[in-house]
Parts: sequence; structure tokens; C-alpha cells
Amino acid sequence: MPKPLAPRNPLAPGVFLLRNAGKTLPLVLVIMLAVMLIAGIVSMMNSIPYSIRTIYDYSKRYTGITPRGDPSQTPILRQAVLDESPVKLGRVITCRASEAVVRSIVGKWPFVVVALGQDDMRYYLDQMEVERVEGRLPAPGAAEAIISEPVARNLNLKLGDPLLGPEINDAYSPQEVKIVGIARTDRWLKLTPIEYHQANHFPPIDLLIAFAEDPREQAKLDRWAIERFKGERARVFAYELLDRDTEEMFQILYKILNVVIGTLVVVITFMMGMLMNIYQSQRVQEFGLLQALGYTRRALLKRVLMESVLVVVGGWVLGVGCALLLLNAVKSLLMDPQAFALNPLDPAAYLYSIPAPIAILAAAWYTVWLRFRRFDPVGVVERRLV
Amino acid sequence: MIQTERVGLTYLDHGREVHACQDVSIRVERGEFVGILGPSGSGKSSLLYLMSGLKTPTSGQVLVHGDDLHAMTDESRAKLRLREFGFVFQHPYLLGYLSAFENVLLARPGEDRGAEALELLDVLGLQSKADRKPHELSGGERQRVCVARALLGRPAVIFADEPTASLDHRNGEVVVDLLNRYRGEGALVMVTHDPSMLKGADRVLHLVDGAMVEEGLG
Repeated sequence: MPKPLAPRNPLAPGVFLLRNAGKTLPLVLVIMLAVMLIAGIVSMMNSIPYSIRTIYDYSKRYTGITPRGDPSQTPILRQAVLDESPVKLGRVITCRASEAVVRSIVGKWPFVVVALGQDDMRYYLDQMEVERVEGRLPAPGAAEAIISEPVARNLNLKLGDPLLGPEINDAYSPQEVKIVGIARTDRWLKLTPIEYHQANHFPPIDLLIAFAEDPREQAKLDRWAIERFKGERARVFAYELLDRDTEEMFQILYKILNVVIGTLVVVITFMMGMLMNIYQSQRVQEFGLLQALGYTRRALLKRVLMESVLVVVGGWVLGVGCALLLLNAVKSLLMDPQAFALNPLDPAAYLYSIPAPIAILAAAWYTVWLRFRRFDPVGVVERRLV
Repeated sequence: MIQTERVGLTYLDHGREVHACQDVSIRVERGEFVGILGPSGSGKSSLLYLMSGLKTPTSGQVLVHGDDLHAMTDESRAKLRLREFGFVFQHPYLLGYLSAFENVLLARPGEDRGAEALELLDVLGLQSKADRKPHELSGGERQRVCVARALLGRPAVIFADEPTASLDHRNGEVVVDLLNRYRGEGALVMVTHDPSMLKGADRVLHLVDGAMVEEGLG
């Protein structure tokens, strides 16, 4: 007689789960959706500070210093940088700047238009790791601009479009400043010739941007400048300050996020605890029979725990997979075309999704443990509990 | 081998004391077929549960191989039940998601007893239904699967609690006959209210209101 096909251990957790897919799949799906929801919310929230860091990433490459209230301070500040810098300097550029905007998922953000001399502009683009320029550099003194590719995508601009102009409220200039070049780089930038700025923009204040020769030493230069010009008639713009301000700005948001996620975890755990309870109560006959045959409570609890672990881990893995797919789809279909930053691999998003399955597992196990504690198998075999 | 000494079970039912079992002393030897007969509510099943360690006596003791069954930890008692006892209950309880063959294997977890399980299903006339799920079997076939499960591993004692109650008379006789024929050296303790099912018993104990009133030959 041929031996029927049978698993080595008929009570292996996988056997029950696979043969009762109709009951176990909804649990897996609920966990999957919970994980996907949490990872999605966190990733989208994190995209805001991530956007700030991405948009203003150019400031990692130089330290900006402006005089406060007194334009005559600029040469003094410049001399101080040249004389006292703790790192070897690549170049200290005197430039002008005006304010424009870029778009983010939470509205418009200010963005600087840097006005540079021709040679400094080449140096600047070089430092921003521009691979090539589509079009050309703005001619000295002309109402022309060069922007980078992310800015073009963000503002939906192309060669020949105006970047600044008399009718553009967020990016005013008395003349229409047309885009003549688009730089291929991941960094965000808007540049115009300094001569045009000097002739058309107010206030007439020269600013400094100081490049460390070695980019790895830029942060050191930033820290030095922050300390050196503290209390003086100068303001320092450094990536470190931006990073710190962003961190502070989002602290409250993260507290709110924690409360939201915490509430979500409690609600989902409560619901899942009830579902698991119903699910396990449908198995009273099975547990009663096995206990009557001689299976210990510990063995049965271990089996239920293993099954719950498989359900929860399966749900989490599927949830993470679906969140990755969803976030990648959102990134490529909605965010990338407008150069909005989103990191589908954001570790925080997946870390935040871990407490929910752990709490669900604990609730499921506790429910079963409570049931077993007062469980009488005789009640089952006598059909009192069935 | 298994012995009860003035064993009793009393519980409260809505504030009223109920004596399910009173001072019952019996001894079951290896290979014996002992029938426990009595009307409904006479305490037959309670005595069976006390002897098999499924219930804890409120007085007296149950000895298995000389050891007090209820002095053991829950865990040791459960392990003893799995290792030494086989069970057939009134209702043919099987796990619905396992085949007949897999249900039989439940009696000896972790042991390689596939061939023995198949042999048992074969002698019980279920060779062609080993792969069937319980819902694909008739009531009589399900109870025969339970018999195969109780016989797997040749347990020292098989406890059968009204195993024929959910079957017609002919199927009931078949089940008792199979239990008796294939239990080998194991003892069989069977509870029933139907004296005709105890034709092959070595001894029959009569219970009334939880007390043993008569012990006679089968």
C-alpha cells in the first residue's frame, strides 16, 4: 500500500496556516495593511525634512557670510576669512543674491538666486559637480540665468522660459531673465550674472561664499565661521545650521507623529487581539482534543506562538514589500516629475512599522495564554465547550 | 498496573454538592478488558477521566505503575497520557484540516510511525481513505480513525468513553470488536450504558450514583 503524502509533523505551524488559508490570510492582510499604512505615513512625513536637505544641499559645499545692516563690512569679513580660516580655502567669492521660490509638497519655499561673475560662475558649477550644461552660461551683464535640472523639473521650466521677471511675484526682477542653460547635476541652483544683479536688484549688498579646497573640510569651515562671527555684524549660512534648524522645526511634528503612530498601534493591536481571540476560539475543539490526548499546555502554547510569529512576520514582510512598491510608485509617478524628495528606503519608516506586529503578537499570545490557563479539555470531549 | 484507591470526585453545581464518584476502588491489569456499566449520570465517564488523569480526584488516589497520578505535575501527567494511554471519546473528534492518516499520527508526535498508522488503517478497513479529510468520511469511518489513533504505538491502556454512542448498533459492535482485537497487550477500559457492547469484557463494573455497586465477569 503506498504511503499517503503527509508532512513529517502534522502539527507543524505551517501545516495549519496553509490548510486554513481562508482564516489566516485575512489576518496576514490586516497586518500587511497596517505596516504599509505606517511605513507610508512615516515616509511621506519624512519626505518634508528630506526635501529641505535635498533642496538646500548646495549649501554643504560652501559657507555663506553676509554683513548685517552695514554693506561696508563685506571686505572686513572677507579679510577675516582669508586670514583666519582653519582650512585651506579653494576660493572666497564675492557675490550678490536675490530671493525666489521653489515648490515643495507643503507649498512654496524660498530659494536663493546667486549672482556671480563669469569666472566665479564656472568655478561654482564645477564645485556643484555639474556634468554638462544644456545650452550655455549666461553672458556677463545679460538678463539671463542658468538653473539645474531638479529646479527645471520642479518649476516646469525649459530653455528660453523666464526665471525672473516683472510679472513673476515670487521671483521679481525688473527685466525678464531668461533661462539659457540647464546644468546636469543633482544639486539645486539658480545663477545669474552679477553685473545684471548689480544694475537691477536691491539692496546693493555684496555677500561672501567661501569654498574649502577640500570639500570634506567644508563642515569644519562652517563650524569655525559660526563661532568666529557670533555677535558680530555678520550672518553665517551653513548647512550645519540648516540641519539643526530643520531638526528643531520637526521635533514637534515628530512628537505628533509618535502619538499618531502610537494610537494606530493601540487600535490595530486591539482589533487584531479581538480577531485573534475569535480565530483561536474557533479552535477550542482542536486544543481540547490535543490536551486530552496528552499534549502539554506548553507544547500547544509554543505551537500557537510559532503560528502567530509566522502570521505576524509574514504580514510584516508583505507589508514592507508592498510599502516599498507603493512608495516607489509614488516617487516615480508623483514626486520625481516635480523633483519632490521621497526616500522609499527610509529606515525610519520601516522601524516605525515594527511595534505594531510585536504588539499584535503579544496580544495574540496573551489571549491564548489566558484561554489555556482556564481550559478544561474534558469540557471539549464531553461537548460542553463545543 | 492502574489502580484507584477509594477515589472520589465531588463538585458544586449551583451551590449543591454533587458526588460524581464515591470511594471507587478498582484495579486494571495489563491485557484486561474492563467494562464500566451504568445508567446516564452514574459517574462512569467521571471515573474514566479520573483514571486517565483528565480530572483530579477530590478524595482517594489513582496509581499508575505504583505512582500517584495526581501527585505528578500537569506536564508529567500529560506526557504519561501521551506515552501510555490511548483514547476513544464518545464523539469522533478529528482535526478537520488533517487527513485520516495524519490524524492517526497525532497519537505519537515526533515518532516515525507512518507504516504502523497505515497498517492500522488497513486492518480497520480504511486503507483507501487514508488521504481523506474527516468531512469526507462517514460517522462510523471517523470513529474507526479514532480507534486507529488510540491503538497507534500500542499504549498500555486504552480508555474508551461511550465509543459507540454516536454509531448505529452494527457499527458500534465493529468498533468495540476492533478495539478489543488490535489492542495487543494493552488493557481496555470501556465505559458504556449498553451491556451488549461488553460481551468480550473480562470484568464489568456497575456504577450507580457514583458508587460501584457490583463487580462481575463480562
